[in-house]
Amino acid sequence: MANRGEIAVRIIRACRELGIKSVAAVSEADKDSMAAKIADRAICIGPARPTESYLRADILLCAARGTGCDAIHPGYGFLAEQPDLAELCRQHGVIFIGPSPESLRQMGNKLLARETVRHYSVPVIPGSGKVRDVKEAYGMAEKMGYPILIKASAGGGGKGIKFVMGPEELKVTFETAAAEARMAFGDETLYFERFFSNVRHIEVQIVADRSGNVIHVGERDCSMQRRYQKMIEEAPAPSLSDRQREEIRQAGVTIAREMKYESLGTVEFIFDQNTKQFYFLEMNTRIQVEHPVSEMISGIDLVKEQIRIAADEPLPWSQSEVQLTGHAIECRINAETPELGFQPCPGRIEQWVEPQGTGIRVDSHCYSGYFISPYYDSLMAKVITLGMDRSEAIERMRSALEGFVVTGIDTTIPFLRDIFHQPDYIKGQVHTRWIEEFLDSPPSSGGEEEGPPFQEAR
Amino acid sequence: MDLTEDEVTQILKWIEDSNFDELDLIMGEIKLVVKKRRDGSAVKEEVAGKAPTQAGVPEPAGMEAGKEKSLCDVHGMKGRAEESLEEGLSAIRSPMLGTFYRCPAPGAPPYVEVGSFVEEGDTVCLIEVMKVFNAVKAGVKGCIAKIFPETGQLVEYGQTLFFVSPDDRIQKKEKHEKNFQAPGG
Repeated sequence: MANRGEIAVRIIRACRELGIKSVAAVSEADKDSMAAKIADRAICIGPARPTESYLRADILLCAARGTGCDAIHPGYGFLAEQPDLAELCRQHGVIFIGPSPESLRQMGNKLLARETVRHYSVPVIPGSGKVRDVKEAYGMAEKMGYPILIKASAGGGGKGIKFVMGPEELKVTFETAAAEARMAFGDETLYFERFFSNVRHIEVQIVADRSGNVIHVGERDCSMQRRYQKMIEEAPAPSLSDRQREEIRQAGVTIAREMKYESLGTVEFIFDQNTKQFYFLEMNTRIQVEHPVSEMISGIDLVKEQIRIAADEPLPWSQSEVQLTGHAIECRINAETPELGFQPCPGRIEQWVEPQGTGIRVDSHCYSGYFISPYYDSLMAKVITLGMDRSEAIERMRSALEGFVVTGIDTTIPFLRDIFHQPDYIKGQVHTRWIEEFLDSPPSSGGEEEGPPFQEAR
Repeated sequence: MDLTEDEVTQILKWIEDSNFDELDLIMGEIKLVVKKRRDGSAVKEEVAGKAPTQAGVPEPAGMEAGKEKSLCDVHGMKGRAEESLEEGLSAIRSPMLGTFYRCPAPGAPPYVEVGSFVEEGDTVCLIEVMKVFNAVKAGVKGCIAKIFPETGQLVEYGQTLFFVSPDDRIQKKEKHEKNFQAPGG
């Protein structure tokens, strides 16, 4: 288990259900973590700093071989989508629980991914090829029309994106984007995408085995984002007509099948609510944070399936056997202070009481007394609710968030409680910038009953 | 009571020439342990500080330690015990996860044995990660009192590799005479 946090716990549990022994590779800061406690064995791979532990493919492989592991699960983030670890695993006969290094490369380079998908006759967000310098940038931006998004080819997952309103901002933003991309990814290649103002983020969950069988497990709507980072996800997507839903699912399957993808993957699209047209955004070649909403409506354990696929087992069901019922919503509970621009708030949790109830699931690695390390991301838990329909899922989420007690540190729980009382969200009238607009100019009170709206708490 | 350098050298010589394999000498606060190597040369283990007043063979450092379990032991795996430090001893810990090697090359003599005297900058072992060998420096000065892992064993980051017993008298004497060196060092 070459990862940490809630996903490490999730994967170790899946292993246990499959009768597979697990070794948790932990940094010094994670020696007391839940993953270290519940794994069959834990091994310290290095200091807290990720570049000296969770990002060291060589050390992780050495740890795997030294402890007799025959497979490595990379989780999400860290090395999950870096071809290096997958490549090293292949060279040394260790199974990488994920797609091939070729697929990781093909989709990891966002320019190459756009090029690839265009060949499969799936619509791609209109944009440019590589933009080399400021001079080229002006020419391209004029041709495309403002506003535009500048994206780093090595980015993805909402990282390395800059918004340009007009030509007066272009030069500085372009140069900053190049410098940041060089720093963050070691690759300053940039490209442009047309900016859409009223879009939803829709993604299709793909499951593909090693014999060429590809199915989808429905789509998710992840439009509730802040600065390109998802906060709330749900399945199925509430905004699509049956025909659009089927088209977008088939587009996802087409991409995975054409590129001979193996393992779990997610094909992300944006859906323009004005024109009802969808476009390919990028593909995530790993298990995703928000996978539980698809599990809840399908009854499929995606992590277990991912492990079985890596063990060369064929998919146990055909597309028609996958039944999607009900509606599921997930909230990410982060150790952040919403009043301070969602600034991370590491520290020791005094009290941690997870909500319970029908249709409520909590995926977490936290407990009372656990120390949230400043070295890693601030995700503490995911609350997932399942209802017969969307309104029941929302009701259960409200109840779950009300019942979630965390003291000692700040969390996003109060903010999320408020969101689930916002009429726009309840009616499903949101887009990818809705949270940002809401934060800039909140509507006068949430509109509904109990609990003070988040803004009053300032 | 102090042992002079000449006296220590003399003792080592006696043992080397004698039929005895081992000598444990306790004089007041000084405890001197000398063991013969297989090739016949004497190896000295000198433990500084207050020696136990009761008679008997002094326990090599860290032998009865081991209350602090490593993560591996917690889960009942066959473990490399991360032994708790005895007073007066320093630990050399692994700076990285990897495979532990005591020798610079197969068949070559180990960098250190129990009883070897090491300086801060001396290499005590190698840790290999994916065919890259990293030399581990002692970081402390003194005598190797205990060696935990065996060659070829996987060691974790922060795992205790050696106990070192710092010895003030040896360090002082060293300043006076360069020639003095603990055999086997």
